[in-house]
Amino acid sequence: MKRLYIVLAVVAAVGIGAVGYSVSSGGSAVTAPIAVDGIDDLERLVELAQGVTKGDENAPVTIIEFGDFQCPACQQFATQHKPQVELAFVESGKAKFVYYDWPITTAHPNSFLAARASRCAADQNRYWEYHDNLYRNQVRWAASTSPVGTFVDYAGTLGLDEGAFEDCLNSDEHAALVSANLELGNQLGVGGTPTILIEHNGTVRQVGYDFASIQEYIDGLLAGSADGA
Amino acid sequence: MTDMSGAAPPPPLNRMLVSVLSLIGFFVALYLWAHNSGLTGPIVCGVGDCATVQSSPYARIGPIPVSAIGVAGYTALFALSLVGLQPSRRESRLIGGLLLAGAAFGVAFSAYLTYLEAAVIRAWCQYCVASAIIITLVFFATLPEVTRLRGGSSGLEPRAT
Repeated sequence: MKRLYIVLAVVAAVGIGAVGYSVSSGGSAVTAPIAVDGIDDLERLVELAQGVTKGDENAPVTIIEFGDFQCPACQQFATQHKPQVELAFVESGKAKFVYYDWPITTAHPNSFLAARASRCAADQNRYWEYHDNLYRNQVRWAASTSPVGTFVDYAGTLGLDEGAFEDCLNSDEHAALVSANLELGNQLGVGGTPTILIEHNGTVRQVGYDFASIQEYIDGLLAGSADGA
Repeated sequence: MTDMSGAAPPPPLNRMLVSVLSLIGFFVALYLWAHNSGLTGPIVCGVGDCATVQSSPYARIGPIPVSAIGVAGYTALFALSLVGLQPSRRESRLIGGLLLAGAAFGVAFSAYLTYLEAAVIRAWCQYCVASAIIITLVFFATLPEVTRLRGGSSGLEPRAT
C-alpha cells in the first residue's frame, strides 16, 4: 500500500502542477476601459473611435449600432433583426451598417474583453464572423470568470491564427479604440444597448432595434429622397 | 468470503490500478473544466482540434460542462477504490458493484462522446481521447469485481478480530 500512496502522490503532484500552471498563466488581458489621452477633445475622439462597416461605403443611408457583446438585447438584435436589416438594406446597397462598441462593464464584466476580441479578429480580417459567433454563443461565455481561453477557441474555430489572436487578446491592444468607442457613445447620448442610429444626409435619428422600426424609417427616408429627386 | 482468521486479505491489485488511473483521469478532466470555466489560457492541444470540440455545443449538457461530469465521475471512482482498499472493505461486494457500475457508465458515456467527435463534430480533442482510453482501462481493471460479486462478502460486516 505504501508504494501505491507514493504513486498517487506523484500523480497528484504532477496533476496539480500542470493544472495550476495552466490556470496561473491565463494571461494579462485588458478587460476594462482605459484612460486615453485626448479623448475629451471631440476631434481627437472622432479620430480614435472606429466603427466597423459592412456594405457599400457610398450607400445613402448609414445604420449605426452601439452594441455590447454581453447584452442579451444586443444578441436578440444580432441574431434576429440584423440579418433582416442586412438582407433588406445592406445587401441591396441602400444602406451600410456600422458597429461601434459600447460595453457596459458594470453590468457585463466580459463585454470589454469581447469587444477587444472582436477587434483582434478584425486584425485577421474576420471581424463579422467573429462578431456573429460571439453573439450566437453569448450564453456560453457571459458567465465565465475569465473567457480568454474560450475567445481564443472561437478564433481557432474560425481558422484564425490562434497564437497571434492570443497575443492580441492577452495585451492592451484595441483597448484604446474600444474605450474611444465607448466615449463616443457617451458623447452622442447613448444610454443603453443596442442603440440604433440612422444617418441620412447629415441627419441622425435614433430608432427602435426591431426590424419593423428600422424598415419603416429607412423606407420613409428613401421614399422622401425619391420624391425630392 | 470473510477471512475468519482475522488477517485482512491483501489489497486487491485491480483496485490499486483503478485508484491510479482515476486520479490521472481526474486531472485530465480538471484541466478541461478549468478551461471551460475560463480559468486558463487557450487550450494546449498538440494533436487534434481541441478548440473545435471544446467550443462545440456538445461540450456541455445543458449548463453543465461535460468535463465537470468527468471530474465528478473520476472523483467518485477514486474515492471508491481507496475505500475498497481499506482492510475491512477489500472483499466488499458493494464497493465492487459500485466500481463496476461506475466504470461501465463511464465507458458508455465516453463512447457516446467519442461518437460525437467522430461523426458529428468531426474533430478530435486529445484530452477527450485520453479520457476515453483511461476510462476503458478503468473498466477492464474493474472486471475482477465480477468474481468478487459472485463469491465475496458484502464488505459491510464487522471485521473479525
